[in-house]
Amino acid sequence: MAFKRFLVLHLQLYCVLVTLIFAASYIVGMIFAPEQNISYSQLVGPFILAGLCVLPTFITYFRKEPTLKQFIIRSVIQLAVIEVIVLFFIQPPENTIAALFYLLIGAIVLVIYVLAKLTVWLNKYLQSKKLTEQLRDFQANESP
Amino acid sequence: MQTKITKIDPDKPELLEIHCHSVSDEVREIVAFVKSRQGQLTATADERQYEIAITDIFYIESVDNKTFIYTKGKVYESRQRLYELEEVLKNNRFLRVSKSTVLNLMKVSAIKPALNSRFTAVLFSGEQIVISRKYVPALKKALKGEA
Repeated sequence: MAFKRFLVLHLQLYCVLVTLIFAASYIVGMIFAPEQNISYSQLVGPFILAGLCVLPTFITYFRKEPTLKQFIIRSVIQLAVIEVIVLFFIQPPENTIAALFYLLIGAIVLVIYVLAKLTVWLNKYLQSKKLTEQLRDFQANESP
Repeated sequence: MQTKITKIDPDKPELLEIHCHSVSDEVREIVAFVKSRQGQLTATADERQYEIAITDIFYIESVDNKTFIYTKGKVYESRQRLYELEEVLKNNRFLRVSKSTVLNLMKVSAIKPALNSRFTAVLFSGEQIVISRKYVPALKKALKGEA
């Protein structure tokens, strides 16, 4: 894959992650500290966290076509690194059970990761649908 | 190699004759080009030589330095290299879709998503051919008629 194309794909992933992290922050906040207010400066958090989560994908950039096995291994490594980064940077609020908090955050990261992958796949599915339509037009025009 | 063109009467059949010291790759390329212009490729199967109509070809694949031509239910071996056939067929709605495959776009029924940035071409024969991500931009261009 050309690096330019790789960057575009990961910019898309970054945007999806920012949105999903905002949604996850809302859910976690409502569960653990529903009465707490947040400042404007805290709104930058999802942008930084999404950036940190996208960074590990650069380590596993493949120039050649990966096999199914390589693809699965890469995805597992990515998820593991993202989990470590997120759990390292997020601290549990006061008066909460740390283990339960980390377990919930870990689960949320997993859900976000799967949703992000699904979104990218959906985008690809729509692309393939468009390509099929273009192919049919091409075949209709080129038929003798 | 010198070239000589002689005009003949319309009632006589046209003929291209090559006088050469040996049947080199260059000669084969010329013959393949002329046949492709007539809509045919020469290939072998079961130790027999066949003239295959280009429109019958689904895809051409290179495996272990051998070139195979796939039609509906039959596989032929070609003496030409994949890049030579790609060159010969590029104006016949054929497109390179991976390092080892040249695909007839007229034989594709649908394009589906595959792993990573790849796509899969589903052929009318039911076979599936991987379109490598490197060749996706070329496919998009070809389908838009820009190639």
